[in-house]
Amino acid sequence: MFERFTKDARAVVRSAAVHAERAGAQRVEETHVLLALLDGEGGRGSRALTSLGLPPGRREGLVRDLGEVRRRGGLSRADADALSGLGIDVCEIVSRVEEAHGEGALATEGKGSSGARVFGGRLFDRGARELLADTLRIALARRERHIGDEHLLLALSARRGAPSEILADHGVTYTALARVLYGEDGEDGEDGRGDDGGDEGDGGVTAKAG
Amino acid sequence: MTEATDLAERAGDRDPRIGLRAVAALRRLLEQLEAVQVRSARNQGWSWQEIAAELGVSRQAVHKKYGRQ
Repeated sequence: MFERFTKDARAVVRSAAVHAERAGAQRVEETHVLLALLDGEGGRGSRALTSLGLPPGRREGLVRDLGEVRRRGGLSRADADALSGLGIDVCEIVSRVEEAHGEGALATEGKGSSGARVFGGRLFDRGARELLADTLRIALARRERHIGDEHLLLALSARRGAPSEILADHGVTYTALARVLYGEDGEDGEDGRGDDGGDEGDGGVTAKAG
Repeated sequence: MTEATDLAERAGDRDPRIGLRAVAALRRLLEQLEAVQVRSARNQGWSWQEIAAELGVSRQAVHKKYGRQ
């Protein structure tokens, strides 16, 4: 399916691998894909973020929240809230572990589910592979011939877990994305090809339909 | 007093979603804590056997999970 990825989507996948490497992670995870999407400037996904009030210069809040999740060992704020309902103070645990084992001791890199090689030797963990599968599914359901960074973003926002929660905290939900991308309220409306100038998107597309 | 009321309220919270989510989060936290402690023990020269004994699992299980790091 990689041959149907647009230039921007390929850039996101490549940049996710760079983010993973920089973080010392053995595998590319969904959070790295989100970081890569946030780096984007020209793609339709990035433009959708801009439409939702998050232009390229104003995405540090999301990056910071992702950093916090990482520091908590991958627990989102909602996870931490659920645990506080049990009387478990995640912040307290994080700070004690960091006291004993150094800053970022609980950060998630290093381990993870078994990886599989995707796209030229990069190891993607299970979540990231599922994300790619969801991305493909979303593009197909919309009868799009290309797979763009906007589909990656849509898939990420539709999944469970910290990245989608953080996106939602900043007003980026699947519904909101579908609205700015396709001008629709819900999930239907299959007019396929985007209407707002498919300048990129057609770049690396082959007409092969699977 | 308010703390006690809080606790009472939480205890009465029967939404399974919240409870299940807490369990999932706890499991995740546990995994991370285990990784931190195993790494620390290895750095201090503990054998896999010693680590496994403290964790109450087999040596093979610990080694398989953390051995290649």
